[in-house]
Amino acid sequence: MRVPESIISLCFAASLPLAGQSTGVTGVRGLAFPGVSRVVVRTDAANSGQFDLKAHPGATASLTFLLPAVMTGPAGATMTLVFGANDAGFSASQSINSQVAFDPRTPYLATFSGNRASVFLGGTANPSTAQRAGNYTGTITLTVVFF
Amino acid sequence: MPRSPLVALLVALGAARTLAAQGVLIAPHAIYIDHARRSGTVTLYNPNAAPAEVSISTAFGYPITDSLGHFALRTVERPDSTLPSAAAWVQAFPRRLTIAPLERQTVRLLVTPPAGLPDGEYWARLIISARGGTLPVGVAGDTAAVRVQLNLVVNTNIGLSYRKGPLATGVTLSKLRARVVRDSVEVWSRLERRETAAYVGTVRAAVVDATGKVRSTLNAPIAVYFVMEPRYALSVTGLAPGAYWVRYELVTEREDLDPAVVLQAAAVRDSVQVRLP
Repeated sequence: MRVPESIISLCFAASLPLAGQSTGVTGVRGLAFPGVSRVVVRTDAANSGQFDLKAHPGATASLTFLLPAVMTGPAGATMTLVFGANDAGFSASQSINSQVAFDPRTPYLATFSGNRASVFLGGTANPSTAQRAGNYTGTITLTVVFF
Repeated sequence: MPRSPLVALLVALGAARTLAAQGVLIAPHAIYIDHARRSGTVTLYNPNAAPAEVSISTAFGYPITDSLGHFALRTVERPDSTLPSAAAWVQAFPRRLTIAPLERQTVRLLVTPPAGLPDGEYWARLIISARGGTLPVGVAGDTAAVRVQLNLVVNTNIGLSYRKGPLATGVTLSKLRARVVRDSVEVWSRLERRETAAYVGTVRAAVVDATGKVRSTLNAPIAVYFVMEPRYALSVTGLAPGAYWVRYELVTEREDLDPAVVLQAAAVRDSVQVRLP
């Protein structure tokens, strides 16, 4: 069955502070693949994934994504996802326009200049022209180690 | 379907649905448990609009630096008796929980050390794994017969220290060196922990000009468990060419931690000259 366009989305509510010194990761916006382009750059304010990090100023944390190569569908069908060397960005100011690019396929060491920072994630979905109908799922894992 | 309507559809779906959780906030971000109490707590907060499924586990590991001076976590799956691991003794209650939207939950950490445990500091890592972010969205297209869903798991890994008996800490600073890299001065040093507990403190560095005026500063929390050689970068953008001093010190001060858990030690200092081109 032909699938000319696809949307893959994770959307999340904005984070609220926890009293006292806390740390953690919360999401603002999920990664979406709208339209026929199926390529989402990390600077795409509408469709890139955004993850907010909270830590102490000056702190460092390593960010490691475990990214799915495919999403699994019915009867073993798959839909390819591709994440490239320039598909993630770290912003100490939480600005999508001020990112330091990094490869989401390898660990990244982030340094906080303030209490909060953001990570942006882009990627590419590649549904085939004869993608089998049904439900497709995949899992993104983000591991944040605070030192 | 053109791109704009698809984006609009996505936004509309996002606004209309109760969206799944992703990640939780954790306090404190470093846990200290005393042998006298053998228990501690960690508070989790779910800032999302949907329940968060959380599981808690422990592992053994400690920060190190790699050859580039970057911090990394060295993990040991089966630590032997030479490593001060508390990972096997720490249990979280509950270990699995669901946190309602905008709710907090306290997790109790109980430690059951072996009998006859010598005085000292023992370490573990607490891993809080939050699962959520499942948002099925129909694929827009001629038939909309394909549905896709990305699930998200966020693992947050923080330090835990178990302390028994009187403890002391300290650090030696050596091999301080600096070099200019583009618009920064990179500073390296070798830090070696002394005494019986990890050195937890702050690195302070400053670039000082010939008149003694501070031109650039850096403050960074640090924990030295064994030995590390961290690299820091201080901006020297706009500074005139010439000789400068890099002042470098470690102090046992941490704004982000309860002072009661920060073991005190004498500050260590050194300085090195660097010339800006």
